[in-house]
Amino acid sequence: MAKKSNKIVYAVALVLFLGGLSYLIFSGLTQDSVYFLNVTEALAQDRAEIGNARLFGKVSPRGLAIADGKLGADFNLVDKVQHDKTLRVEYKGALPDTFKPDVEVIVEGRFSTDGQVFMAKTLVTKCPSKYEEKSKQMDAQQGQAG
Amino acid sequence: MHLTGYVGLLFSLLAFLFLAGFAGFAAWTRKEEALTVLERGQLIAACGVILSTLILLVALTTRDYSFRYVYNNVDNALSFVYTLTALWGGREGSLLCWELIIALSGMIFVATPGYKSLGSDTKLVFWMFFLTVQGFFLLLLTGWSNPFIEIVPAPGDGRGLNPLLRNPGMIFHPPLLFAGFALYTIPACAALASSIAGEKKSWIKVVRNWNILSWVFLTAGIVLGAWWSYMELGWGGYWAWDPVENASLIPWFAGTAVLHTAIIESRRNALQRTNVFLMSLTFILCIFSTYLTRSGVIDSLHTFGASGVAQPLFWSMAVTLVVTLMVVFLSERQVQRSLSDFLSRQGLLVITAWFLLALGLVVTLGTMWPVISRLWTVSPMGLDAHFYNRVCLPFMALLVLLFCFCPWLGWKGGVRNMKGFIAVGVVLVVAFAGFYLSGMTNVLAALTAAAAVAALVSIGLLFALYPALRAMRQSWGAYGVHLGLVLLALGVAFSGPYKTEREVVLAQGESVAIGEFTVTYAGLQEDRNVGDIVARATATLAVSKDGRDVGVLKPDKRIYKNFPNQQFAEVGTIPSFGDELYATLLGLTEDNKASFKISVNPLVNWIWIGGTIMCLLAFLLLRRMPRPGEVR
Repeated sequence: MAKKSNKIVYAVALVLFLGGLSYLIFSGLTQDSVYFLNVTEALAQDRAEIGNARLFGKVSPRGLAIADGKLGADFNLVDKVQHDKTLRVEYKGALPDTFKPDVEVIVEGRFSTDGQVFMAKTLVTKCPSKYEEKSKQMDAQQGQAG
Repeated sequence: MHLTGYVGLLFSLLAFLFLAGFAGFAAWTRKEEALTVLERGQLIAACGVILSTLILLVALTTRDYSFRYVYNNVDNALSFVYTLTALWGGREGSLLCWELIIALSGMIFVATPGYKSLGSDTKLVFWMFFLTVQGFFLLLLTGWSNPFIEIVPAPGDGRGLNPLLRNPGMIFHPPLLFAGFALYTIPACAALASSIAGEKKSWIKVVRNWNILSWVFLTAGIVLGAWWSYMELGWGGYWAWDPVENASLIPWFAGTAVLHTAIIESRRNALQRTNVFLMSLTFILCIFSTYLTRSGVIDSLHTFGASGVAQPLFWSMAVTLVVTLMVVFLSERQVQRSLSDFLSRQGLLVITAWFLLALGLVVTLGTMWPVISRLWTVSPMGLDAHFYNRVCLPFMALLVLLFCFCPWLGWKGGVRNMKGFIAVGVVLVVAFAGFYLSGMTNVLAALTAAAAVAALVSIGLLFALYPALRAMRQSWGAYGVHLGLVLLALGVAFSGPYKTEREVVLAQGESVAIGEFTVTYAGLQEDRNVGDIVARATATLAVSKDGRDVGVLKPDKRIYKNFPNQQFAEVGTIPSFGDELYATLLGLTEDNKASFKISVNPLVNWIWIGGTIMCLLAFLLLRRMPRPGEVR
């Protein structure tokens, strides 16, 4: 048979443990949650009130300006589905190698006070875990083959 | 060959499903004779999977682009090694490898003494589950994720491997993860089967080696993934708490928890239902990991993209969870044993399992938060790295702390060696004070580092004081794994909060100070047509500290064939057990300057060393099962 005193000690410890865990999770959820938005969702919000956010989208070929030496870029972030929805992004840090027009990026930061520009603190391009690159030559070859 | 490969899978699918049904019927009617059919059936049906895999492998190595899978994953310029790794590089191939490993593990398990020692009823139920799992994977492979789709006419060249994936990490990281996931099938099926059939023999002991091997492969896969991430540009270090990274970590927490609670069942016959649940949960979380990466339900750094397998994966998890809960709550418990005192080695093992499960829950919650938050808002909320660090790091520090003191407690309660216990406590306090006063003002980092030091002392003292411990291979394995974890924790405690990083633009001869180091840009060398590299520019950065030369960093930028419009960087490092120098060449400016990202990563290599020790020394834990009737 189970010893009663043991059960009580374990139960009390579990309650304390769950209490601590809940507190940590609650404080984390209230302080560290940020909006995860695509461009359309960001445009639909009051951008001045968004605060910290993570935006998902594609780099538009139009309006792309990469700083000399690859430290920073200004570009339009296009919604992956609704291509007419764009946001201006300014980023001052180092650009990943795979950063180029039409690549999918994730930017983190906050909107300028007027809500017009997203000031990105971090920028990452998606990892090409699957091959998506195809040279023009191969496209032509494939076109002939097909 | 496309048809042969597909028919091989189709044959295995039908065979596994038929055999699973047959096993269910035989278990219901208690037809022991069915076992011969099932065991041979597993062997024969597995041959279909092996044949299909060989066909795909031959198609890859001969670059037969009439296979869409080959076209998507290989090109004419790709080296032989990466052509082979393409077998698990794509979506369909990775699922095929997963199923192949399950099939092979089934073939091996049949021949082991552990399997032979199980009762017939348990074996029949085991086959019902095990064959169903294989049938499910083959259903995916013959339906939503078919690797044998043909392109007519065949293209002359393939799409090729993205250069970011041409890294040794690609050779080992994915198959190790898949091996970990796949091998968990055997202990999970054995746990459920033993519970249903009321097996007398402890399934925990029967599948102990499988459980350990699964854990080793999964751990190795995660550590190698972190190393790969660290060595590639633009990933911000070894761990970014990205959903795809978290996906492999979640089952690891459950798998590690069950390793600890299994000890209690092995020694005391307690926590039987808990272990069945945790074992099955680990398997479900392996499926969940794949669901996360292939469903597109969460936006990730990785572009695996959504695929048709998401819904079947989701429903398979749901069904397995329901079956597991039914088995856990409805099956009879053989023996009811209570746990020993809370402050005992056994008690701390339970707490360790709580901590690990809590970490798994936190990471799952954080990963799924954008989906969960959609329940009450149209603007999804997510959680960034701060959340994980805030919640996970205290638990990780406490886990190391638990390990410092756990070995000094008696199995059932009390302190078995007060001097050792106090010595470790003193080391902990002194180390914490030392770290804090020497400038490590991040309390959590200082506590983790101090706990790691105390744990190292604890292991050393234990081996010094107890000769019996030194004589046992199992002790070397158990404490070796924890030693690895402690070193890993030490690496994380320092390299996370105390990394120094700068992004600079330098002219030739110009220097910059990073931490205690001075880095001077010495020049640039250009090469052309080196293997499949069309052009390469390598920068030389001379590093010195207090006027002494420390070494040279040689980061480069390269352009590969088939990717003429994109540059790829390879980092340069000066490896060290202390501060590792790490540099990336970002770009070149028109006035012959070069931009770099340079960082100093303290103790980062202890993460890889600790991870390697964890994986290698865990092999010492493997035990030979006595054959039925054999006396040991």
